Amino acid sequence: MTETANINIDDATLVEQCRQGDSEATERLIIKYQNRIYNVILKICVNADDAAELSQETFVKVIENIDKFEGRSSFYTWLFKIAVNLTLSYCKRSAKLGLKSLDSEDDKHGREGRRALKEFLSDDSSSDPAAIASNKELCELIKKALMKLNDNQRAVIVLRDIEGMDYAQIARVLDVELGTVKSRLNRGRSNLREIMEAISQ
Amino acid sequence: MNENPNIDELLNSFIDGELSQRQFTEVQRLITHDEQIAQRLHELQQCKVLVNSLPSTEAPAWLADEIKTTLERRTLLEPPRRYYEEIQGARHLLLRKVLSAAAMIGLLTVLAAVIYTILAPEGAEEKPFVVGDLRRPTSDITAPKPDLGVVKGIESPKPAIASVVETKGSESVAPVAAVEKSIVFIMRLELETGGLLAVRAFISRAIGDNGLFEREAQAYQNDGGMYAFSCSREVMGVLLADLRNVWDKFETAKLYVETGHGGDEVVIEGITAEQIAEIIKEDGFEKRMEVAKDFAVLNNMHNLLPGKEIYASMDSDKSDLGVIPKPVLTSGSEAIKRVREEIDDSQKVHLTILITGR
Repeated sequence: MTETANINIDDATLVEQCRQGDSEATERLIIKYQNRIYNVILKICVNADDAAELSQETFVKVIENIDKFEGRSSFYTWLFKIAVNLTLSYCKRSAKLGLKSLDSEDDKHGREGRRALKEFLSDDSSSDPAAIASNKELCELIKKALMKLNDNQRAVIVLRDIEGMDYAQIARVLDVELGTVKSRLNRGRSNLREIMEAISQ
Repeated sequence: MNENPNIDELLNSFIDGELSQRQFTEVQRLITHDEQIAQRLHELQQCKVLVNSLPSTEAPAWLADEIKTTLERRTLLEPPRRYYEEIQGARHLLLRKVLSAAAMIGLLTVLAAVIYTILAPEGAEEKPFVVGDLRRPTSDITAPKPDLGVVKGIESPKPAIASVVETKGSESVAPVAAVEKSIVFIMRLELETGGLLAVRAFISRAIGDNGLFEREAQAYQNDGGMYAFSCSREVMGVLLADLRNVWDKFETAKLYVETGHGGDEVVIEGITAEQIAEIIKEDGFEKRMEVAKDFAVLNNMHNLLPGKEIYASMDSDKSDLGVIPKPVLTSGSEAIKRVREEIDDSQKVHLTILITGR
């Protein structure tokens, strides 16, 4: 929370400078958030080119409408709200394309990845996240499993487990009730577990 | 596997650190005492770890530059668009203002019409007379046709009474009755008197006695009166004979005779009842007009000469002019006979008498 507060203070200053036409402040805002935005969008929509385009659209929209930012929520929440909304809208339009791209790579990440995933799921001890991240095939399977979730459940899991938002922030970004966030997260993780178990067989 | 969604929700909140201290302790106790719940917690934790372990992907290096380029491009394109939007907005506002103004004018018009309908005097458009200058061509004026009435309960054709109009002060108001110029000889007699009340009473009575006027009360005014009527020359002669008795009360007496040519009038100053009788005695419009013009010249000359010799000689030479035999009514049947007498329209004369006090 302390870190978030510091970010908000910095953001407020940058936003004010940005409003006054300070291009340097605008650039700093973009550089500060571009990786996080891109990463979240990519984990939701999967396709790298689409993620880049959506990230660009997000920042352009944010900067163009910076005068309309009223400060009722933090800039961070506002930024992610725009990014996630754009991405979910995109996903609705091209959901089939996203699944196709994964299906075509099904065989490529097949055997080795499935074995690693099966071992991980059957192991009672906690695994090392670094070891998982280094296993590209396993990571691809996890992404595939994520894509099997519906858009809303996937968005909640990405915002919580990848971006690290708390439930209240997720509720503000998605503009839903806190209970909705909890239920979506609950169903999402349950479904994800089942999907991964199915993939690993 | 625990399928209870409530437990799963608690476990997920436990994993994410979203529980209160009391809930946290409770879940810990459950995990300790229930292996299934502990297993379910482990499964959910594994999910979280797997997703969380996905490597973070950095944005393309060109992304920031591309964003700046897009913003600059849009900024360059923005002014004309804004300008266009401003023009469109201004036009829209102007259109709204014009429409609002038109609506207001329309509403005010309707409101004015409603107010006029409420406040306008009743029967304002139902006046029987057009009040104006007699010199106006009568063909331009429309007025009700003179009617025949009942005289003292006896059903009979009555000499047509054109109108009774009230006047104030010296205001020159003249009625134009429904008298067709081609058949009626039109005159206007303007009288000025110091004894208005007495004179007016006398005239009213004379008019009433001759069956010309049955609504005397309407003629009374504080400072004047007007009587207008059309009748035969005979009836007019009788009336003039009556008026002769009160003529010396008039301080001035002017007669205006319509020539029928573009509203011109012959004005006879210092007219007498005898002279009027002489005029209407003539047969035909032209002859009457000639006599009227003669009297106008004579009376003017008389007024111009200090000694009034001409008028005196005229009086002596034409002493019989003023002799108007006043009919004596011996019975009611005679009067009835008189008013029932069919009046030849060509012999009708129209006289308007205007009396003002001095």
